[in-house]
Amino acid sequence: MQKDLESKFLLDFEQNQNIVHKICRIYTTNQDAHNDLFQEVVIQLWKNYSKFRGDSKFSTWMYRVALNTAISLYRKSTRSIKTQDIDDFSYRIKSSEYDNTEELQLKALYKAIHQLNDIDKALIFLYLEDKPYKEISETLGITEVNARVKMNRAKDKLKNILKP
Amino acid sequence: MDLEKYKKSWENQPKETNTVSNVDIYKMSHSKSSSIVKWIFIIGILELIFWTSLNFMVPQKYMEVYKDFKIMELLKATMFVHYVVILVFLVLFYRNYNSISITDSTKRLMNRILSVRRTVKYYVYYNLGTIIISNIVLMIILLGQPDHLIDALNPKGLNVDTNTTITIFIIATAAMVLIMFLIIWFFYKLTYGRLLKKLNKNYKELDNLEHLH
Repeated sequence: MQKDLESKFLLDFEQNQNIVHKICRIYTTNQDAHNDLFQEVVIQLWKNYSKFRGDSKFSTWMYRVALNTAISLYRKSTRSIKTQDIDDFSYRIKSSEYDNTEELQLKALYKAIHQLNDIDKALIFLYLEDKPYKEISETLGITEVNARVKMNRAKDKLKNILKP
Repeated sequence: MDLEKYKKSWENQPKETNTVSNVDIYKMSHSKSSSIVKWIFIIGILELIFWTSLNFMVPQKYMEVYKDFKIMELLKATMFVHYVVILVFLVLFYRNYNSISITDSTKRLMNRILSVRRTVKYYVYYNLGTIIISNIVLMIILLGQPDHLIDALNPKGLNVDTNTTITIFIIATAAMVLIMFLIIWFFYKLTYGRLLKKLNKNYKELDNLEHLH
């Protein structure tokens, strides 16, 4: 029984691993912290996987657990040293197929997101991932109206930072 | 400025090249969490143990002093109520901790974490309050029977001034309570202050919104 659950979890996770990496990238600024947060998300997902009933998509459930971990549970590791912070993540997304302009835009976007607070990060992330307001409001636990208000403010903040 | 072009480059971003293998995911999933909730739980348990054992640590011999003041019944009744309150706090702590669920909404999750912290906080307040009030009541009772008090404070019957003895007794008790307060305050700054700084900030960020309309 346990074995079945484990292999099912690994399969589900494998297909959605990239979501967690994206969340780690916006909430951390160096590789050590990225790995720490990634591990904590995996622990929380597995710990609660037996309670996942499948009435929503695994990815939807995963967004919630991963964001909750980043916002509420994760403590910045004392190991990470500020001077070693990497201002972008280009070391991991080197790809020849990727258009250069887009790559620069993406770098600028990540850099700007890093300057937002934790809640705004979550809102912008869910916007970028194209999540409907209903899901955003349910994930964060605020009303849909408030989610819209908050989202507009977060977008304004982001635009201000991105302004050349 | 439009965010759409950024959104497009977000959608087109390449997948993480440094993916974690299933073997490593398996290992990770079985490793130990270092989450805030876990630390709050550990610190909370330690505090409950600390305050409860403090109550048990008062030696029996010390209590016998009070026999002369004829307040043993009162002390026993107070202790009984005190243990009932401790029990209630333990139940509350356990229930609050149990209701934490990572799959709740972010706001509810944070609220649950903070209420575990609040239970412990109230437990500490309760203990501090009990210490102060019981010390004041005790002092009033003791000072009401100065002859017994002098006997208790100066059992060998040394030739000292009565007023000085009583003054020293009052100052010593007050100083003890003050030092305890400072130690506890410092302890909280160190533990919860650091642990919950981020969580409190994020919670306020979500909560402030509710009061906008």
